[in-house]
Amino acid sequence: MPAADDLNPETVPNGPKENPEQYKPELSRSPPGDFMRPAVRTRGKSSSKTNGVGVQVEDTRICVVMVGLPARGKSLIAQKVVRYLGWLSISAKCFNVGSYRRTNTPQPNASFFDTSNKEGERLRRAAAEAAVTDMVKWFKSPGNLIAILDATNSTKDRRRWIKDRCDSEGIETLFVESKCDEEDLIMSNIIEVKTTSPDYSGQDPEAAAKDFRERIRMYERVYETLDEDEADLTYCKIINVGEQVIINRIQDYLQSRVVYYLMNLHIKPRSIWISRHGESMFNVTGQIGGDANLSPRGQRYAEELPRLVRNSAGDTPLTVWTSTLKRTAQTAHHLPYEKLSWKALDELDSGVCDGLTYAEIEQRYPSDFAARDADKYNYRYLGGESYRDVVIRLEPIIMELERSENILIVTHQAVLRCIYAYFMGSSQEQSPWMEVPLHTLIRLTPRAYKTEEERMYADVPAVSTWRGKGSKAAHADTPESSRRGSPAMLGQVKEGL
Amino acid sequence: MDTLLTADLAANSPNFRRRSSTYVDAIHDLPEKESMAPAQLYSTESGRLFHSGRIVIATVGLPARGKTHISVALARYLRWLGVKTHIFHLGDYRRSYVGQQGDVPEDYFHVNATTPTVLMRNKILKKCREDILHFLDAENGQIAIYDAVNPLSSGRRALAKEFEKHNVQTLFIESHCTDERIIEENVRSVKISSPDYIGWKPEDAVQDYLKRINARIPHYESMEENELHYVKMLNAGQRVVSNNCAFGYLSQRIVFYLLNLHIKSRQIYFCRAGTTKDEDSYKADASLSTEGEDYASKMTETLISHRESERQNLIAHGAPETTALKPLTIWTSTRRRTVETSAYFEGKGYRVRQRSQMSQLNPGVCEKMSEKKIRQNFPEEVAKHEQDPYHHRYPRAESYHDLAVRLEPIILELERENNDLLIIAHESVLRVLYGYLMACSAGDIPSLQFPRDEVIEIIPASYNNSAKRIHIPDLPQKLIPGSPEDIKMPVPPSGATSPFSGIGTPAGTQTPEAGAEGSGGLPIRKAAVTSNPKT
Repeated sequence: MPAADDLNPETVPNGPKENPEQYKPELSRSPPGDFMRPAVRTRGKSSSKTNGVGVQVEDTRICVVMVGLPARGKSLIAQKVVRYLGWLSISAKCFNVGSYRRTNTPQPNASFFDTSNKEGERLRRAAAEAAVTDMVKWFKSPGNLIAILDATNSTKDRRRWIKDRCDSEGIETLFVESKCDEEDLIMSNIIEVKTTSPDYSGQDPEAAAKDFRERIRMYERVYETLDEDEADLTYCKIINVGEQVIINRIQDYLQSRVVYYLMNLHIKPRSIWISRHGESMFNVTGQIGGDANLSPRGQRYAEELPRLVRNSAGDTPLTVWTSTLKRTAQTAHHLPYEKLSWKALDELDSGVCDGLTYAEIEQRYPSDFAARDADKYNYRYLGGESYRDVVIRLEPIIMELERSENILIVTHQAVLRCIYAYFMGSSQEQSPWMEVPLHTLIRLTPRAYKTEEERMYADVPAVSTWRGKGSKAAHADTPESSRRGSPAMLGQVKEGL
Repeated sequence: MDTLLTADLAANSPNFRRRSSTYVDAIHDLPEKESMAPAQLYSTESGRLFHSGRIVIATVGLPARGKTHISVALARYLRWLGVKTHIFHLGDYRRSYVGQQGDVPEDYFHVNATTPTVLMRNKILKKCREDILHFLDAENGQIAIYDAVNPLSSGRRALAKEFEKHNVQTLFIESHCTDERIIEENVRSVKISSPDYIGWKPEDAVQDYLKRINARIPHYESMEENELHYVKMLNAGQRVVSNNCAFGYLSQRIVFYLLNLHIKSRQIYFCRAGTTKDEDSYKADASLSTEGEDYASKMTETLISHRESERQNLIAHGAPETTALKPLTIWTSTRRRTVETSAYFEGKGYRVRQRSQMSQLNPGVCEKMSEKKIRQNFPEEVAKHEQDPYHHRYPRAESYHDLAVRLEPIILELERENNDLLIIAHESVLRVLYGYLMACSAGDIPSLQFPRDEVIEIIPASYNNSAKRIHIPDLPQKLIPGSPEDIKMPVPPSGATSPFSGIGTPAGTQTPEAGAEGSGGLPIRKAAVTSNPKT
């Protein structure tokens, strides 16, 4: 289906999308000179939406195979890649060999991972086979493009076996090795694993840490790094959190896109704080868009914010990012940190509706108002932007955010929703409706198994700018009820190692 | 040595900047006025993007390793993203110093050169570096690409230190080849076409050229400096090592681009799809009409015989009888008309791939409307469109900017492609892709013309791309004009006078083929031939 159709919001108000049969020529003959790919794969009708970094008709399917010792951030990387691709409308899934192994051996001790332990070896091999089999099955359904095989895959034998298996299914492999000797980093990963992994739940933390170190030692004995013997593989080897990256034999655009993202990731612990700007004069009058000043209550939030941040971040040095609009700069004014303003953090451009209230929009553009409710993610304001457009322009922000350590972002409702969706893996149907009250500071902490969220509320009242589907709610003061917890959108929790 | 076309180009202009009056490809021009680049997401007052600071990209590598090609390709991509980039070829400065006929002393590249040579070398380097710093400091430049050999570790360290003093980061990009075949192919394709080697056997010429390089530049150290920021490309991108590069968004983005780049040369052809049964409807996705079928068949014949004549031409110039051109791959969009236009190629066993991102600009509410009707119904939108045809969207439509952003995967795949490539697509898509390959400004892209009776051939060369057209004979006149299904304004029908002046290429620069047909200048921007004096 052509991307242009996907971007055409007109298909929305007219009920179900027209989906004319796409003509496909016969591609049965393999023409001469066809050496770029092993086989022409014509796949079923792809319904994936594309947004400029999307997919092509003859989609390549890629299995990203993680390689590395335990506690090198493999699971964190795997989870992040899945969320990033999902955010870009590319269907991806993580297959975690540990969770297959746990069905038979829920809480093994280190000796289970000893290579001389025949029974342990057999069970671990069976878990790997089960994971790969499920993955191959998952690839059968059209639109599924990238799978991540999360395991140590620490020997050349194992990697060759995976490659052969994928080759025979017409799936490309991209091996991603995280190689790291930094003691601090390994320690912090061990602490995290022993406290959060299902392998050790309910056990004494000290004993767990000891056992886990022992497990790592078992793997170290047989571990083989990617080297010249495997020069025919497509791989990306990340040494010491990106100090050096070796990229071998990238086959196509999608692989390069994944590698590009991986290169921007770091696996050091950190948090991101996000807040909307303080209440603005437009918020008070119920108008959207514009470049208004803060209201007196918004000013109070700006004054309150440094204390709120300090309570959460302590003495950690932060960098503050704002948009280029006045209300975010004014909100960040009192923060004692370095500040950068990004055009890409500006609010979703509401085009002709800029400066109107929701009631006025409904009156002047009734069909648009309804169209927006029907598919808010793809709806583009006349002369303005859609959420999908915002996601595209946020790409540099996300990459920069991944490269940075502790950042505080002061931005706007729609942009915050997009960034939040990236970290929490929320769906495109949900994220544009998410409620983020004004005068609230959100702290996101990416962990190996999920992103943790914490919300802190300033004691400064503000209007609510949240509008439910179908409503033209005038902005009213935030009801107490919405100032509790997150509206049921937690990060995707994944099972164990 | 290094006898590219660069010498003549460079010698006449003191500042080494030139308008592309004699070249189709504008990659060495600085845009005349500040304007948004084709795929630029936003603009800033300083003109610099992504808070990435200022960067010098310095190439490292012996001659014939594709340094110039990498520099130019990278500049093309960065400018496309809106990053203000300029290339400084040290060779241009060297040649400008010694004059067109002169040559540098034998020991110019030697470590222990004589004092006069060292003085001369330093003078040339100094001039080039001054220009780089001037570009970064005084002209709001963000990235300067310094295209030089930079063979020694000590020299590279000093270079990085010097730029550091000016608060400029240095990123080295090395092209290193261990595979002799790649070097030989590169020498063969770009270097031995020089006048020095007329009448030589290709193998002898390659050997001679390599021997001369080795004698001229006897010392070369591959990059191992862990403290420097560098990207090492091995064997034309088969392996890429990125060292200490996580210092900014742009540095990583550059590595991403390099992952998709190779240094081999190949042709790209553009052509339109045939006409369809339901010509005006975007949504109908109609099949080809009888004329459309006829067009597809004639286009196929024309291109195949053109390629055969190129092959014969190579043989006539001394290549062996068995010489084969690179295989031709065809990309179409998923629209029925483009797929069907490729059917004759497919029937002949060529490989055809469909790319969903290559769908045409979505016309939105303007679908099936005549220009008159659009003017009537949307006078305000028309006024806005005329103001900025590149960024304006009609209601529910895509702008060219949307299209350019959506085409990014295609552009990178285009760089990846090793084979010759024919792209059959809607005129709006061809405009954007052509705009990328030829470094057109955003303002020019919506008015580029692709009449149906021509296949456009783009010949990538390391220094700049050039375009020529291949006429498709015997087509009925009514088939030829521009897209009927396109948004009609303010783009005039093919052959009409362009509303833009001063953007064309002057007469006298056409390729022999185009000249033989008696049409002036560049195929695409033909409307503005007279208004651009040759500089």
